Amino acid sequence: MPTTTAHAAATATEPLWAKVVDHTRCIGCHACTTACKSENEVPLSVTRTYVKSVDVGRFPQARRSFQVTRCNQCEDPPCVAACPTAAMHRRPDGIVDFDKSICIGCKACIAACPYDAIFINPEDGAAEKCNFCAHRLDVGLEPACVVVCPTQALMVGDMNDPLSRVSEIVHRDTVTVRRPEKETRPKLFYKGADQATLDPLGARRPDGGLFMWSEQGDVDHQVPAGHPGPWNSSAAAVLSYDVPHRAPWDWRVSAYTFTKSVAAGAYLAPLLLGALGVLPLTNRLWALQAPIVAMIGLLLTGALLVWDLEHPQRFWMVLLKPQWRSWLVRGGFVITAYGALLAAHVGASLAGRADLTPTLGWLGAPLAILTAVYTAFLFAQARARDLWQSPLLPAHLLVQALVAGSAVLLLLESGTGVSDGVAACFRWTVAAHLVLVLSEASMRHPTAHASLAAREMIRGRHAHVFWIGAALAALAVVAVPWSPAVAAGAALVGLFLYEHAFVQAGQAVPLA
Amino acid sequence: MSIDDLERRVSAAKEDVEGRGETFYPGASRIHLAAFPPKERWNDWVELDSRSWPERVEKRYMLVPTTCFNCESACGLLAYVDRDSLQVRKFEGNPEHPGSRGRNCAKGPATLNQITDPDRILYPLKRAGARGEGKWERVSWDEALDDIAGRIRSCLEEDRHDEVMYHVGRPGEDGFTTRMLAAWGVDGHNSHTNVCSSGARAGYHWWMGMDRPSPDHANAQVIVLVSSHLETGHYFNPHAQRIIEGKKNGAKLIVLDTRLSNTSTHADFWLSPYPGSEPAIFLAVANWLIREKKYDRSFVRRWWNWQEYMEEVHGERDASFERFEDVLRETYAQYTFDFASSESGVEEGTLRSVAETIATAGTRLATHNWRSAGAGNLGGWQVARTLTLLNALLGALATEGGTFPNSWNKFSPRPPRLPHQHPRRWNSVLWPDAYPLGLMEMSFLMPHLMREQDAYVDVYFTRVYNPVWTNPDGFSWIEMLTDERRIGQHVALTPTWNESAYFADYVLPMGHSSERHDLTTYEQYDGQWIGFRQPVLRAARQRLGEEVHDTREVNPGEVWEENEFWIELTWRIDPDGSLGIRRFFESVERPGEKMTVDEYYGWIFENSVPGLPEAAAAEGLTPLEYMRRYGAFEVARKVGKVYEKPVDDTELEDVRVDEAGRVYTRAPVPPSPRAPGGTKIEPDAEGRRRVGVRVDGEIVRGWPTPSGKLEFWSRTLHEWGWPELAIPTYVRSHVHRQNLDADQMPLISTFRVPIQIHTRSANAKWLDEIAHTNPLWIHPSDAERLGIEATGELVRVETEIGHYVLKAWITEGIRPGVVACSHHMGRWKPEGQEGQRLGMMTVALDQDGSRWGLSRTKGGGPFPSEDPDTLRVWWTDVGVHQNLTFAVHPDPVSGMHCWHQAVRVRKAEPGDRYGDVAVDSEKSREIYGKWLEMTRSASRNSPDGTRRPYWMLRPVRPERSAYDLPETEEAGV
Repeated sequence: MPTTTAHAAATATEPLWAKVVDHTRCIGCHACTTACKSENEVPLSVTRTYVKSVDVGRFPQARRSFQVTRCNQCEDPPCVAACPTAAMHRRPDGIVDFDKSICIGCKACIAACPYDAIFINPEDGAAEKCNFCAHRLDVGLEPACVVVCPTQALMVGDMNDPLSRVSEIVHRDTVTVRRPEKETRPKLFYKGADQATLDPLGARRPDGGLFMWSEQGDVDHQVPAGHPGPWNSSAAAVLSYDVPHRAPWDWRVSAYTFTKSVAAGAYLAPLLLGALGVLPLTNRLWALQAPIVAMIGLLLTGALLVWDLEHPQRFWMVLLKPQWRSWLVRGGFVITAYGALLAAHVGASLAGRADLTPTLGWLGAPLAILTAVYTAFLFAQARARDLWQSPLLPAHLLVQALVAGSAVLLLLESGTGVSDGVAACFRWTVAAHLVLVLSEASMRHPTAHASLAAREMIRGRHAHVFWIGAALAALAVVAVPWSPAVAAGAALVGLFLYEHAFVQAGQAVPLA
Repeated sequence: MSIDDLERRVSAAKEDVEGRGETFYPGASRIHLAAFPPKERWNDWVELDSRSWPERVEKRYMLVPTTCFNCESACGLLAYVDRDSLQVRKFEGNPEHPGSRGRNCAKGPATLNQITDPDRILYPLKRAGARGEGKWERVSWDEALDDIAGRIRSCLEEDRHDEVMYHVGRPGEDGFTTRMLAAWGVDGHNSHTNVCSSGARAGYHWWMGMDRPSPDHANAQVIVLVSSHLETGHYFNPHAQRIIEGKKNGAKLIVLDTRLSNTSTHADFWLSPYPGSEPAIFLAVANWLIREKKYDRSFVRRWWNWQEYMEEVHGERDASFERFEDVLRETYAQYTFDFASSESGVEEGTLRSVAETIATAGTRLATHNWRSAGAGNLGGWQVARTLTLLNALLGALATEGGTFPNSWNKFSPRPPRLPHQHPRRWNSVLWPDAYPLGLMEMSFLMPHLMREQDAYVDVYFTRVYNPVWTNPDGFSWIEMLTDERRIGQHVALTPTWNESAYFADYVLPMGHSSERHDLTTYEQYDGQWIGFRQPVLRAARQRLGEEVHDTREVNPGEVWEENEFWIELTWRIDPDGSLGIRRFFESVERPGEKMTVDEYYGWIFENSVPGLPEAAAAEGLTPLEYMRRYGAFEVARKVGKVYEKPVDDTELEDVRVDEAGRVYTRAPVPPSPRAPGGTKIEPDAEGRRRVGVRVDGEIVRGWPTPSGKLEFWSRTLHEWGWPELAIPTYVRSHVHRQNLDADQMPLISTFRVPIQIHTRSANAKWLDEIAHTNPLWIHPSDAERLGIEATGELVRVETEIGHYVLKAWITEGIRPGVVACSHHMGRWKPEGQEGQRLGMMTVALDQDGSRWGLSRTKGGGPFPSEDPDTLRVWWTDVGVHQNLTFAVHPDPVSGMHCWHQAVRVRKAEPGDRYGDVAVDSEKSREIYGKWLEMTRSASRNSPDGTRRPYWMLRPVRPERSAYDLPETEEAGV
């Protein structure tokens, strides 16, 4: 059988594929875009590669800058780390490839990719992106975009071969990569590219939903391209062509963070009060009510997670084909273990062995805490989203879980009389949450990306949700004496709204 | 391993391919990966399926070459025919094509969209109701052919030859149809050229006797482009490759384009001139080159027709060259940088730097103008004429890195059974008296000329042409097309619905690029090649041993191709041969039988393409098999200075050399494999033909002009009523500031975008997804002045005859005081008509006497079809149709429609809706009349009683006697 990798056999080392886009040659003709659509049968509305353009400068000193926009084939690919099933994987030759047959459609890779290079193919519901036309490389052919390019502005090469044209350009010419601060070490190098295109916030978004010869689009969950305010570059820069981009995670992920807070908090809050000696760990509330609410929260969490998958029937792959670096996998196991513990707790209570529940409680505490906070790591794994990279996020999620938990306790006790301990816990956790929320809202964020995300949350598209959420939290603090049920309701709705604003604003910033 | 052992997947990588003794096609990466599979395996190539990846599912393909039919470049394509389904899976470039060299633009791969377009026309249709009513019935090809052929036969029998007209947009072929019209004896060739390139052509033609430039960009030192040739211009992909190649080799790039294009982005000097001022810039450069003595004196002395000029214009019969140099210097002294700067708005220092840069080029100055300014302005033909002046000063013509005339960089092979007759009747609708020097047919004036001459066309073919949409003043076209007293039968030959086909009697579906035969040859570098377009499934099935006799057997539905259609139609026009037409479409081998396409092209490849039979034989193929397998053949490379080539002694017989150095001979024209064409230089008084010119004592080929030299001064222009324009000069455009009211601005309405191509590509979903609207480009200072606050706001653009409403695109990429709108997009179908849904809006047409309105009732958007992708169409805007609101502006000399418009731009009025168009066709007739007043007709100005200078290029040239002005013809018509 003739080998398809005869070259690999002939050379001493495995190649390390890299690509160069030479913008001193690129004429912005979009041939690469359609050649890729054709080669890879990419449907309308999504794209593996396209040519963004920015009009820079003022007449008569003006130019149009291009950016051939696609997967960066990172040395340290965030999508691979985030993928729960290793559907996204890095081949030994450096190509970040994908296997659609094991993609569950969780979109964690999309959330993670700092370059917005991955999409869900509407034909098969699986994630895909540029893979250097691996199916062509493996039979000795150049990628389709390289072949079609009229001006030979695109090329692939082996970084292990110092004489390859790509090595020569990367090592001898001035090249740049997109968003090096993301520490992904891209292997897509740009020669002669412009800051105004490389920086997704470098150019201003035109008004009127219009680009120079296309609509900006009005698609579901759209992330409008370009900076909504003034440009970031020193020269006047207006985005003149881009494609519609979409945020990966919709309200279901926002809701999941909320139900998970309830699931974790409903167990943690009584446990905390028990530890402080304020709440006896013997009553019915602890023995059955709280853990049952936690279980319901957990079931809803699971249901939302599965519902959000493009391939819900492949959910089991998270547990049976785990890619251990993925926080989706780690979280999945945490939730599973936590669910088992809750089941044991309820089972023991129903079996008349409530005496076992305090012990189960101490065993369950770390699981409940992990259930509350792992999402911070999951969000942090979405390396693209600067807003979510906050070191305080685990602590805040823990506080949010306690807000939800104490609100649940407040509701459970509202019929029988609210204990001081529960009321105090509720007030203090809601207050702590408010302090954290207002800190988020008032502090300057460290990157332009995070600033813009925060701006979208506080003053932009998600401001109404954010501020109603904050107001409800404030209302909750003052309403406890007046009506515990109203206070608890306000806290829970406020929490949901805040989490929605936070999750959506984190995705509201253009990345390409 | 035998290369015929094709059962297994093999690698295309260098070592493997070369190890097997096959052809390795290196790509841009210059590594072991191939750009294309080795040609030895094109018959059966195995690739991995991209959709099944990473599962290694093997797919077997037959790679069949053809030629793209989107723009004029005719780039090579390689169709991947799936050996299991026998359908085309994809199109890549053809590495064997010398022009495109395996590369393509966005439109090449998107050919797949066009052949799988769910709305394409699959069967012949005949109108069932009134013309334009939208009722159609399916008919058989036989019925359509018999009906059309019967009408044409009657025309020919009744001496109504000029009632048959073939109106073509993109020819996309070389010689087949003009040969057919010559065979029919019909002067009915009507082209789109006067809305396209006549301006540039005229400028080149009057210099060199050839009408197109072929710049050798790759070897240039300085490249001057008028417009956006890097991403959209004529021969876009082949030229873009070579421009970037030249630039990487150190060439300086100078670009004149009023708007910011991708090309101007790459320029070392981007000049954004006020529209129409381009010749002023070139003349200022010329003035500087002359004054600073930076020109090639020896070249000018040897090759310009300066003696003739000195004698005729200055009355100095034996003037010395030095005396001419003085005159030249004085003549151009007025064109200072200061003058050019004030005309163009480009800063004086920049113009000086441009001149200094051009002076460094020597004979490596590659220049190009095709449409753009040449197609925009009154006197736009002076753009090419003054640009060529720079080449002519530097001697950078037909030099390495210079600009060649097209004819030397293309090869039109001679077809079999070439008709020797010429049409006997002159078609005055196409070649009217008022425009004797019009380079091509006055096509866009047809509604006006038909009315004025009370003319009637019995059979009117439109092919790859959509006059209602493309031409200015489209409503006048609708008026003409729906008037059965003007058009007896309109036959639209088209793969897809278009605005003109709605007003046809027959809509006959013709194939896209991979579904038809054509021969192409274009001037794209210093070499000569031919390309072959073929129905790829026909070729594939034939390779698999099937017999295919008709392209309809392999095309979808009953889609046909024109070659076979014309042969069949001709046979039905003259079924018994009594009209003397059929014989030109009879088999060479089997006289009396119908010629097949295989035979037509087989004969050409065997008899008329030097080197091809030998190359084919080396591979054990017939020439036709070779072309079916590889799709292209390079006939020559490095053609060089044809004008300096000595005339062979065998061609010198009873020679006479006249006073001007023109050499005449009695020796017959040696047999040539090339199709006859080009200018027709008159013989001398004793009937000797001209064979060359004597320069410095040597008899060389010279130029195909009346003088045999480069015509700095055109005797033709001088004698036919335009003495003031006989040398390269500056004509103030109709949109020159002095011709505008204070509230008017010039509108540039012609710019192309790289992704679309006129009306041919609206059915390509991948292209539409990228580019689907055409807002008005306006500078922020103008927007502010007019109260347009933001991009996307609706504005109203008022022309001489109406207005249209569109969105504003506020941009720094346009000169202040000028607006621009791309001519792509704005496609429509009238309510109640079927037609394409992708890229077309639905409109209501409203007529009240001469007042017309068009309003959008439904935009684009998703729709269900057999292609699931059409439900994913996420855009609804398909642009605005602006050409409807343009009056005709025929240049009185070149005949070119001068596209630029003087417009008023204002905020939309309350009732205005996006896409609205309103026009008064009565006003367009007034404007036609105004422009007509500028003309100098043949009947008043002809120096020799003819309708047109005989020597000038002319498609389907009529007999010499048809050139004579009729004695009864009224002057001025």
